[in-house]
Amino acid sequence: MAEDTSGSKALLEYIVKSVVDNPDEVQVTEAGYAREKILQLQVAASDMGRVIGKGGRVINAIRALVQVAAAKEGAQVTVEILE
Amino acid sequence: MSREIEVRGQTVDNAIEIGLTKLGLNRSDVIVDVIDEGSRGILGLGAREAVVRLLPMTPAVPEQKAEPAPARPTPVKPTPAKVAPTPTKIVTPPVPPQTPVIVQQEETAVTPITSEELALERDTAVAILQTILDHMQIEADIHTAVTEPDDMTGQPINLIEITGPDLGVLIGPRGDTLVSLQYMARLIASHQLKNKANFVIDVEGYRERRKQALARLAERMASKVIKQQRPVSLEPMPANERRVIHMILRDHAAVYTQSTGEGSQRRVRIHPKR
Repeated sequence: MAEDTSGSKALLEYIVKSVVDNPDEVQVTEAGYAREKILQLQVAASDMGRVIGKGGRVINAIRALVQVAAAKEGAQVTVEILE
Repeated sequence: MSREIEVRGQTVDNAIEIGLTKLGLNRSDVIVDVIDEGSRGILGLGAREAVVRLLPMTPAVPEQKAEPAPARPTPVKPTPAKVAPTPTKIVTPPVPPQTPVIVQQEETAVTPITSEELALERDTAVAILQTILDHMQIEADIHTAVTEPDDMTGQPINLIEITGPDLGVLIGPRGDTLVSLQYMARLIASHQLKNKANFVIDVEGYRERRKQALARLAERMASKVIKQQRPVSLEPMPANERRVIHMILRDHAAVYTQSTGEGSQRRVRIHPKR
């Protein structure tokens, strides 16, 4: 997070790394445009369930929070999970 | 424009759907009051339509209004944002030794928490929230307090209060973002502590305001139950909100409450006492 200036990206990394068993395998790549960001998230296969949660509960909560950070940056953000 | 509308449908959900379309509102913008659950009858005989009443709610955070709300007097007067420079204590009403009220045990019982564990959980929660707020570029103050032992679980709970200007974004429509914030913060804390974290987060006194709104709803619905002498179901609510209703009405002379339904459809039903 230190080298990254984007609040939404840093927030996504922080949250995901804080709930998985393999934080070193968490990768977030930014795509899209300045105002319509796409954050692509990669995690270890064994952590997939943890990040998505029952009925998508975890990923939805993560999206809600990342969107708050993005709004502060004047952007819309989509969080995608890459398999 | 009338405040409440009454709608009929084949099923409760169907009636709600029709009502929402009429009002142009989302499911989360109204309080649903099931008047008649209807009945399919046997082979089409004796079938009854479901009847529901929809009461539009004004969001506690006006700037978060997602849909054009119908013009109508605000039933829920938003209390001015509570500025709490000092940690506030939540005082729960004393429990009478024996109540005839049926209150469902909503919280899972846990082993007694020590003050060290509480302090550790508090510090963990504050650190997590501070990091999240920093990334969101939100400047806010974080205060903490410990509640009185909860009268259902007998456990004190860490209360983390976030205060500051323009925190509506942290609350979200109908408190959705606050729900997400608390959920994620607890999940992260549980992961770090290797123990289930149970703290409560409030932003700008939102939970307190919501509690007051629920208290008014409970009283209103209780009067209705007494008048009509038949049970009334409230809209589905999360556990903590159902609890507020149970608590408010637990000492009521003429009604008692029960939770019915499963999962996200779980709702409080208010019954007249015989």
